[in-house]
Amino acid sequence: MKSRKRWIIGAALASAAALVVAGCGGDSKSSGDTGSSGTVTKGGTLRLATTDFGFTNAFDPTGEYLGLAWGYYDNLLTRGLVGYKHRPDADGNLIVPDLAEALPEPSADGLTWTVKMKKGVKFAPPVNREITTKDIVFAFERIGTKSLAAQYGFYFDPIEGMQAFRDGKAKTISGITTPDDSTIVFKLTEPTGDFLYRLAMPAASPMPKEVAGCFTKAGEYGRNLVSSGPYMIAGSDKIDASSCAKIKPLTGFDPAKNMTFVRNPNYDPATDNAEDRSANVDKITIDINTNLQDIFDKVERGELDGSPDTPPSEVIAKYAQDDTLKKNLHVFSGDRTWYITMNLSRAPFDDIHVRKAVNFAIDKASIQQAWGGETSGAVAKHIVPDALYNGKFPTDYDPYPFDVEKAKAEMKQSKYDTNQDGVCDAAVCKNLFHISRNQPPWTKYNPIIAENLKAIGVDVKTQELPTGTAYTTIQTVEKNVPIASNAGWGKDFADASTFFGPLFGSATIIPTGNSNYSLVGLTAAKAKELKIGFPAGGVPSIDADTKACGPLLDQARLDCWIALDKKVMEEVVPWVPYLSANSVEVSGPGMSQYVFDQNSGEMAFAHIAVDPSKQK
Amino acid sequence: MSTLAPDAPPVISGDAPIQGRSPWQLFWARFKQDRLAFFGLGIIVFMVVLAFIAPLFASLTGHGPNETFTSMKDSFGLPKGPNGSFFLGADDAGRDVLVRLAYGARVSLIVGIVASGIALTIGVVVGVLAGYLGGWVDTLISRVGDVFLALPLVIFAIGIVAACSTSEQGCLGGHLKPGLTLVIVIIALFSWPTPARLVRGATLSLREKEFIEAARALGAKERTIMVRELLPNLMAPIVVYGSLLIPSSVLFESYLSFLGLGVPGDTPSWGKMLAESVGIFRVAWWFWLFPGIFLMLTVLAFNLLGDGLRDALDPRTGR
Repeated sequence: MKSRKRWIIGAALASAAALVVAGCGGDSKSSGDTGSSGTVTKGGTLRLATTDFGFTNAFDPTGEYLGLAWGYYDNLLTRGLVGYKHRPDADGNLIVPDLAEALPEPSADGLTWTVKMKKGVKFAPPVNREITTKDIVFAFERIGTKSLAAQYGFYFDPIEGMQAFRDGKAKTISGITTPDDSTIVFKLTEPTGDFLYRLAMPAASPMPKEVAGCFTKAGEYGRNLVSSGPYMIAGSDKIDASSCAKIKPLTGFDPAKNMTFVRNPNYDPATDNAEDRSANVDKITIDINTNLQDIFDKVERGELDGSPDTPPSEVIAKYAQDDTLKKNLHVFSGDRTWYITMNLSRAPFDDIHVRKAVNFAIDKASIQQAWGGETSGAVAKHIVPDALYNGKFPTDYDPYPFDVEKAKAEMKQSKYDTNQDGVCDAAVCKNLFHISRNQPPWTKYNPIIAENLKAIGVDVKTQELPTGTAYTTIQTVEKNVPIASNAGWGKDFADASTFFGPLFGSATIIPTGNSNYSLVGLTAAKAKELKIGFPAGGVPSIDADTKACGPLLDQARLDCWIALDKKVMEEVVPWVPYLSANSVEVSGPGMSQYVFDQNSGEMAFAHIAVDPSKQK
Repeated sequence: MSTLAPDAPPVISGDAPIQGRSPWQLFWARFKQDRLAFFGLGIIVFMVVLAFIAPLFASLTGHGPNETFTSMKDSFGLPKGPNGSFFLGADDAGRDVLVRLAYGARVSLIVGIVASGIALTIGVVVGVLAGYLGGWVDTLISRVGDVFLALPLVIFAIGIVAACSTSEQGCLGGHLKPGLTLVIVIIALFSWPTPARLVRGATLSLREKEFIEAARALGAKERTIMVRELLPNLMAPIVVYGSLLIPSSVLFESYLSFLGLGVPGDTPSWGKMLAESVGIFRVAWWFWLFPGIFLMLTVLAFNLLGDGLRDALDPRTGR
């Protein structure tokens, strides 16, 4: 399974005050084949398989935080006020109107957004009625309902009255009004220039109260999702929604077995843009098959058309080296950074010289090789993927090239190297608990990390855990994990704020579900509250920098984020970023058109086409 | 008057007195005829030697057990096969398979022998107590054993390992930390009920025998009876079961490692090597073949030895 989870839970993004125009998206580098092979015909069944759906909230759009799920929603099932083109590269990160008649503009003070909705767009069965702005309001009320666990609900905190609604102090969200069924007005407490990106998130898509309102626990609505897009979950037309008691789970979605999407009979292409959603195939099936090898064998034989899972190294090698298969290998920028995180509150990582030494000591090229070489991505040299900087980040920037001598020179300046030999001699450098994952490629490079760190006297004891356990371990602040290499972070949308806010903001340090693993911005008071130690020298913070970048626009905004990225790398040093990962997928001979969706980082289901004559 | 038949055996003259044979001699006489058991013993000795001289492989090849070699991986990160300096090829991290196999023998044998030893010790003690004392002691021990046997072993083992592996402090107030010890404790925890049942059953039978009655009549204390009278007579089933428990423990460690819940990442283990080879088994045959062979041979060897011991120690067992 591709690791695309945006593991942020309940954190507040303090830096949301931005006035950025849509189109801040990156000019992401792609190196793959779109898979298009000439004539695209409508019809047929797209057959996919995955080892695990991996949903974080059982496919309920209000709480679901898995990139792949966002791909299904946005391409196939849920139409928001605004959305994406479902195309690769920078074009795919551009915001376009979807249910909105046109791309909304903010008021002069940036605090009010008025959106006019298209008329005549209907929900799929069993609801079968026209979508109104009330359905958008209800979606926001779900976001503000604590029991529904809206994992990225913090993105909507700038809406006036959102917090009061969430706290139960108000029965409605005062900042959202609907003058009529096709007009909706959002009032914000602060200018939020990337508000359109936030509106494009699946939780903000319309939800019919008569069905979604029947589900008051997190994830329950996932098995009864009512579509507004070109497809719907199979069995939707068989549901009796005359009362909540009569609603049964859809037959087309069994979380342990399969998921089937069929055409939504109420979808009117005239209300949509065919350039954004071609909706070529008649049906999409996604089966669970726990044997990853078997999945890719079937893809190669034409028994399947593809998989959202990342192929194993041997499959990638085979496709890359075989001339007949090469066209079916699709490599695009994944807009994701993989990194080693160091806990700034824990010795020896409370010393910046140790953190810099670790950065010099890690052989990132070897880790890249363990991931599968250049196909898997480029060696990361800073925090945010280059694509999100619109190609403006200096390409020669490399503050920590692999250099053991430089690593030792840094370690010499550390208080933990008392004899100044470049090797840590303090007890705190021994038996350091190092969390990682228990599957390739992590198991392939954990020994590299241990071996590299040994050269500067940092002795890690690697604990390899299943993906979920590894994440929950480092997300629990009380466990105070000193160093971990299991984590990666992908964009929520194409702006660097989706990295700096959740990953380094002091407001995001919470007892469980914490995503600021390095505890950047930790204060003594917060440390006490969280029952962890606080280093004598304190912990650096970038809150002020993040806030300063927030209101900026265009190039100034990019420059600000770039400067902050460098500052984090050179003055805070919470991470060893090692891979700017690609999205790698392979398709079978039956897939006549492959298109990559830059926003979700998955294949663009909305544009995939199949050739039944080549399917087996 | 009848006479001796012509083919009757000659009367023993008294020149060649009957030689009494000790239980050990009887055992050896039977055991040495069992070629398969000897084959098993030979493999076990080989594995023990291999485990002891593992550092020798590292120094001869110049490859540490956790040392990675990027030159032994291709541009896609796939390992390279056997060559002049990596006799059994490299694993997916670019480490020497031969050296890790040798070090892996240590883990397998340590886990197998220590975990089985602990399980057997607990099983024998509680089994003798339950069988000899009877009453509420027997009821309590038997029911506790039943509970352990009824637990879904793998799921519980996974749960305990996972719970103890997510913090530096481990479990039980820091007494049980993630690592080899935890794996041994898990295996022992779930392995003691079967030998306990076996020993209890044998004790129930033995405690009714005349020699126990005699010891009791002579005023021997219960503890003395259990240690000096019962235990020696239980040795045969204990030894046999112990030899069969070891391969089970070796396999159990492999299961846990295969599930990613076994020994820590930097500890070479055959089960772990097999788990790591799964994703690339078609392009790196050496990576799964050799650990697989070693694991199979070790388990087979202990089973053959166990069968041989059972046949030799229990004359009632036919072939």
